[in-house]
Amino acid sequence: MTIEIIQALVHVASGVVRAASDDDGGGVLWLLAIGPAGGAATYWAIYRYYRNTDKSHEFERDTIIEAQPVQGGEDRVDHISRTRDSGIKGDNGGDYRKRVQRVR
Amino acid sequence: MTQDPVEPQQPTFDGPPLSLEEELAAARAEPEPGPSIETVNESLKDGLNRCPKCGSTDVRLRGSTGMLVCLFCRNEWQEARVEEEFGLGEGIDQLEGTVIASGAEDIAADAADQVTFKCEACGAEVVVDTAHALNARCHWCRHTLNVNQQIPNGAVPDAVLPFRLTKEEAVEKIRAFASKRRLFAHKRFKREFVPENVLGVYLPYLVIDARAETQYWGKGEVQTRRWTEKQGDKQVTYYAADVYQVQRQVAFTVDDLTVEASSERADFGTKNTNNIINTILPFDTKNAVKWNASYLVGFTSEKRDLNVEALTPVLEDQGLSIGRSQVRGSLGRFDRGVRWEQEKIEIGGSRWVSMYLPVWLYSYRQESNGLLHYIAVNARTGETMGSIPVSQPKLLLAAFTVGTFLEGIAGAILVASA
Repeated sequence: MTIEIIQALVHVASGVVRAASDDDGGGVLWLLAIGPAGGAATYWAIYRYYRNTDKSHEFERDTIIEAQPVQGGEDRVDHISRTRDSGIKGDNGGDYRKRVQRVR
Repeated sequence: MTQDPVEPQQPTFDGPPLSLEEELAAARAEPEPGPSIETVNESLKDGLNRCPKCGSTDVRLRGSTGMLVCLFCRNEWQEARVEEEFGLGEGIDQLEGTVIASGAEDIAADAADQVTFKCEACGAEVVVDTAHALNARCHWCRHTLNVNQQIPNGAVPDAVLPFRLTKEEAVEKIRAFASKRRLFAHKRFKREFVPENVLGVYLPYLVIDARAETQYWGKGEVQTRRWTEKQGDKQVTYYAADVYQVQRQVAFTVDDLTVEASSERADFGTKNTNNIINTILPFDTKNAVKWNASYLVGFTSEKRDLNVEALTPVLEDQGLSIGRSQVRGSLGRFDRGVRWEQEKIEIGGSRWVSMYLPVWLYSYRQESNGLLHYIAVNARTGETMGSIPVSQPKLLLAAFTVGTFLEGIAGAILVASA
C-alpha cells in the first residue's frame, strides 16, 4: 500500500519536475516544500484530534427548525470577461457563522 | 423555492408623529414587563420533598430511569414534563414579544448566594451556598434541605432534565475517549488520569423557542465560459462569469435552541476548553421536568448568571447562522459561489425557559500552562467530547519524522529526474 502511494507520488512529482525544469524552477520549490508542509499538516491533524479546539454544537443542523419557503431574487449587475480565479472572491455562502455587516 | 422579485420596502404607517413631550416621556419610561410563564412548583414550598405515597422525605434520583425514588417505600415517580405543563412546544409561530418563564427572569443584583434555611425536621438553621449547590444536609439530623422556591438570585431554574447515564457508564465513555488518544498524550496526564473522579454537574442553560425572519444581500457569480490559453509552455485556465446581486429571505421557527447561561461557560475563548462542553449539545430538552431539587441530590450544580437581555445577541447571532444555512439550498445556480455582504434579522417573538441540564464532567488542570481540560459526557445521549493535553515534544517529533520522510521522497524524485 505504502509503496503504491510512493510510486504514485514519484509519478506525479516527476511530471511536475519535468514541467518545471524548463521554466523558473517553481516546480522544484513546490516539491521541496512537501516535507515542511507534510510535517505541519501532521502536527495540526494530531493536535486537533487530541484537543478538539475546532468543535462546537451544530445548532444549524441539530435544532428543530421549521422554515417557510425561501424567497428572494437576483439581478445581473456585471460581467467578468476574463479572470484566473476559479470562484468568487470572499465566498462565504457555506460559512454560516462568519458575520457580515448587520442591517438594523 | 419561490423566486419572487425584490420589492422596495415601504415604511409602515404608525400613526401621526409624537409630540416632543410624549417622545421624552416614552424614552424615560420603564420597559414594559413582558408576558411570563409561572413555573414555581407550589407543592414544594416548605423546602421538603415528600414522597407523594408515604410522605417520607428520603428521596433520591434513580439514574437508570430518570425517576425520583422514595428510599422508604420504594415508590417511583417524576415531576410533570414542562413541555406539556407550560405548553412549551406549541404556538412558536404565534409568539409575540419576549416571553420569559419565572425561573429565567433577571437575576437580582443585590441577592446573596448564601441562603439560610430552617430545617423543618429538627429546627436547626442550615446555610445553602446557592452558587454551587441547591441542597445541603442538616448537620444535626442529616435531613436534606432543598432550595425549591424560586429565590430572587436566579439560582432556581424552571425545569430540570434528570441524569440518565450512570456514573459507571460515564466513566466507561471517558476511558474509551482517552484511550484512543494515549500515544501523544502528556506523560503527566496519563499518569494522573483517573476517570472515576468524574463529577455529575447540572449546568445552567436557557432554552429558547423563537420566531424569526432573516434577510441577506450579496453577490453571486455564474460561470459562463472556461478556456485555456497557452503561455509559453504553460497552459493557463481562464474563466468568464456573470455577476448577480442576490437577495434572499427566510422566515423560520426554532424549537429549543439551547444556550449557555453561565458567563464562565458562555466564554469560548482560546484560553479555555468550554467549547468541549458546548459540543455535547443538544439534549432531549422535551423531556425536562418541572423543578424539584430532589433531582439534584448527589450532584453539583452551577448557577446561572446571564439574563435574557445579555443572551439576546446570542439568539440573534445563531438565528442569522440558521437563516444562512436555510437559504444555502437556493444558491445552486451560483456555481462560482456567493459572497454575502449584508444581513438582517427580526425576532418576531421568543420564549425563554431556564433549565438545568445534566453533564458528567471530568476535568484536569495542566500544570505547565494552567489550562483546564474537560472530557464531557452528555448524561442523556452519551455523546462524549474532550480535550486531552498533548505532549509537545512527541508531537514535534512525529511531525518532524513525517516531514523528513516526505522530504526524502522529494529528494529521491529530484535525483531520479535530474
